[in-house]
Amino acid sequence: MNNNTTDQQTPAIPSGIPQEAQAVLQGIEAQETKYRRNLIIAFAVLLSLMIASLVIIGLDFKFMIKWLPFILTGIGYTFLVSSLAISLACVLAVLGALGRLSENPVLNSIATSYVSLIRGTPLLVQVYMWYLALPQIGKSLEEFGITGIQALFTLPAIPAGILALGVCYGAYMTETVRAGIQSIKLGQTEAAKALGMTNSQTMRRIIFPQALRVIIPPVSNEFIAMIKDSSLVSLMGVWELSYRAIKIGRRHFQSLEMLITVAMIYWVLCMILQLVQEKIEKHMSRGDRRTQ
Amino acid sequence: MTQDLEPMVKVTNVHKVFGRKHHVLCGIDLEVNAGETVVILGPSGSGKSTLLRCINFLEGPTAGSIEVDGVVIHAGENSKLRNQQILDIRKKTGMCFQSFNLFPHMTVLENIIEGPTTVLNQKKNQAIPYAEELLDWVGLTEKRDEYPSHLSGGQQQRVAIARSLAMKPKVMLFDEPTSALDPELVGEVVEVMERLAKEGMTIIAVTHEMHFARDVADRVFIMDNGNWVEEGPPDKIFNNPEQERTRQFLAHIL
Repeated sequence: MNNNTTDQQTPAIPSGIPQEAQAVLQGIEAQETKYRRNLIIAFAVLLSLMIASLVIIGLDFKFMIKWLPFILTGIGYTFLVSSLAISLACVLAVLGALGRLSENPVLNSIATSYVSLIRGTPLLVQVYMWYLALPQIGKSLEEFGITGIQALFTLPAIPAGILALGVCYGAYMTETVRAGIQSIKLGQTEAAKALGMTNSQTMRRIIFPQALRVIIPPVSNEFIAMIKDSSLVSLMGVWELSYRAIKIGRRHFQSLEMLITVAMIYWVLCMILQLVQEKIEKHMSRGDRRTQ
Repeated sequence: MTQDLEPMVKVTNVHKVFGRKHHVLCGIDLEVNAGETVVILGPSGSGKSTLLRCINFLEGPTAGSIEVDGVVIHAGENSKLRNQQILDIRKKTGMCFQSFNLFPHMTVLENIIEGPTTVLNQKKNQAIPYAEELLDWVGLTEKRDEYPSHLSGGQQQRVAIARSLAMKPKVMLFDEPTSALDPELVGEVVEVMERLAKEGMTIIAVTHEMHFARDVADRVFIMDNGNWVEEGPPDKIFNNPEQERTRQFLAHIL
């Protein structure tokens, strides 16, 4: 069958493919274009509906813009708390995962109880524990004769928040890291051992770098969740994003505007983080099979 | 050569029991001299791979002792000294696996220098020249900076051989190195193993590659149910076996 004529119309499809196959390929292509177009329309409709409903309920956009800079100044605290907390969580997660996988009964039991206790209690309660209950423990210890301990155990709001979030997320991420390590095939460990590597060399050089790739998506997920949970430190009167929004909203009886504003800020932050996550994943997947 | 004919590898009365009662190796003895090529044959599940893995302690023997190049380890409790001895033996033995087990997050060259840099504490630029020499030797110089996932199975296995050789081992263990390969890729791996044997490496291979067993091996061992059935030069084993069990097995695979 001669297919030269159709070739010229669609240069993207190489010659040598019979005409009926070309028709199928073109059909698939047309369908994909149609799908992309409809998707964009759907998003646009959704967005305009949202904006329209905001206008209909009489949202005070001027008020929102007026207070936006004030709320945004809280972003520093949000970043400070969540980045320090996620760093702490990462360290705890690696230690926790090694403990959970350890054959040493002491380490294993400590790691297992840590995960069980922290995952089994509400974050809200934990935040208050660090902030309100810890000084009481300090007081008791002081009475046992350990001088100076009470001052050490009385934490300001921000360190208490960082500890609460870091310890809590560390417990969840322990399980993520453990699963990531266990997902690496036994053959990798055996190959490393056969070369004469010690257990820690095997973990550091072979297993962990591979596990890292597996755990980047869930860990980014945790980080995104933590950005939002960092608003819990507002409970202790830290002037971060949501605390500012709630304060202003109540004072002027315009909570709706302020809550929507702060929600949008969190949304944008999380979208930026998601972009970063995609970049990292792309970089990490360089050893993958690429189909040409 | 010299008159002290201490074998390179000496397996003495090795038992391996998995779980509590799965007796896989039932008192195996094996002596392999320096420069010798030994092939172990046997039906699947007969314990060949387990024996190989006991030699470098990927499996700890339940009883008996292993000696590689003068380092003797008896089965039993772990201790600091024993762990050190196990590392010693592993440095002296290279191992190739059925599934290659290259490190997927490293390039071909990085795979090969990983042992020398991490285990032997060599500097990178110290390790690279020999790694390149080995790459050339297995015929993969142009794949130096590729990741393993971009290589064919045969190429991956040749890199795995080079990775083991980078440690300058005294013994090479091959655990069914061609079983996971497409038939047309088997030849290139066997060819490398053959050259290795000719250059005087001590080799213990579990393989179903009959050409290698017949033409390259110095001695062939037949294993069944965790015991030796028969051993001897390939000529005798293949053409004139003593045991009925050997005959049955060979009839099955030839």
